[in-house]
Amino acid sequence: MITTVTLNPAIDREYFVKENKPKSHQYLYTERDIKVSPGGKGLLSAINLRKLGYSDVQNIGFVGGRQGLFFEKMVQEHGITTNYIFTESEIRNNIFVISREPVTYTHYNDYSYKVEPGDVENLIKRFRRGIVDSDFIMISGSIPEGVNFSIYQRLIQICHEAGKDVYLHASGEVLNRALEERPKVVVPYFKHTNKILDKKIVNDDDYIWAGKKLQEEGAEYVMMPFHCSRLLFDKDGDVYKLTPRDFCLRNWLGAGEAYNAAFFDYVYQHGFDFLEANKYAAGAALAIAESKDIFLADRAMIKEKSDNIIIKKLEV
Amino acid sequence: MSTVRKYMMRTMNSVCEEDSIEDVIRVMNKIEMSVLPVVDDENKFLGTIYSRNLLKNIIPEQYGFLESHRLLYQVNQAAENLAEIKDRKVKEYMSTNTTAVKENDKMDNIADIMLDNKESYLYVVNDDNKLRGYISRADLLYYLLEVGEDQQ
Repeated sequence: MITTVTLNPAIDREYFVKENKPKSHQYLYTERDIKVSPGGKGLLSAINLRKLGYSDVQNIGFVGGRQGLFFEKMVQEHGITTNYIFTESEIRNNIFVISREPVTYTHYNDYSYKVEPGDVENLIKRFRRGIVDSDFIMISGSIPEGVNFSIYQRLIQICHEAGKDVYLHASGEVLNRALEERPKVVVPYFKHTNKILDKKIVNDDDYIWAGKKLQEEGAEYVMMPFHCSRLLFDKDGDVYKLTPRDFCLRNWLGAGEAYNAAFFDYVYQHGFDFLEANKYAAGAALAIAESKDIFLADRAMIKEKSDNIIIKKLEV
Repeated sequence: MSTVRKYMMRTMNSVCEEDSIEDVIRVMNKIEMSVLPVVDDENKFLGTIYSRNLLKNIIPEQYGFLESHRLLYQVNQAAENLAEIKDRKVKEYMSTNTTAVKENDKMDNIADIMLDNKESYLYVVNDDNKLRGYISRADLLYYLLEVGEDQQ
């Protein structure tokens, strides 16, 4: 079984309109103008893994209220095994209004979701027994209000006690604290704050500093998003730059989750080879970035694009 | 041949033997289920806990035959009884003689098991007897509907 963790999922509601007119009523008459889907980094990676053929993929996390039941059903339709703690507070709804003339994109990000201390303890119990059949666990995304910043640290500790490795995709204070437990792979994201380990990341040297600092603080391997590329910090201290060539960017949406899923796919198929797994994962991200889809369809599309990925060692 | 895997609901909603009755009631309420699977700390399926069993333990007499003026007394008594047992462990009230089916079992066999066991839900386990979800009578009926459509 493959386990992914999403503590702060949301129902994504996208509305496609001709023109987004404030202060006026607008009517949506066709299904194609409304898209409702389950969202959350770990969950989207889980869906990709199902599409790559893994039959036993679970997503652990919190969901809330009656809309949480609806969310769970949507997830199950993708063939994912749900392992959720149900909270009193309703799950988040992210609203996107996308207009064609002119092209605009309006996003209302819902941060109202809150979990109670008892929910957190229930999640810890469920997580402990949920990971017994997984060797490599993906913990990904933000945390809801009511959850302590040390939550990932606790989850990683449980994984390590059970002899499991962790792939962590996180940011901010929750990432800072998680490093103490020395996760195997760390992928920081920092688009909200532009900060890693509380330092603003501006120029190329900052990225190198951040990668090395994350390793110093506990990460074994670091994969750092770097514009359209990635910087790879190997366990032995070497740094590599991974770059796609000859590509035509259409859509970044889903590329990061495809990357995470394909990294897992490579490790499950061939064992842990940091550089080769990244090359394969970048092929997956590129395949998504060049298409209008947000999920991988199969392995063939990854292999085709992996040849467009170049990894060069940097002298740092 | 269709298997359970295709029609089952894949969920790990469950409780452990050491959880309290109050925990069970809260989970049942939130997920709108009146029965939950009981698993060990490795997710191995051990049995089920039914709301019906809990009610039997707290309601002094059968509802439905009561005179209306006695109903309030009975409700209060049930609430008091529940307050007494809510901290007790699941293992005291669970059923261990519950049949589970495998993900790869054929759907054709599910009808027999469901009718024999009078169960609305059958829990689904993998080859190591670890919980993977459940299949309901509604799923069975949906399967039969599809079979009928294929035959036409």
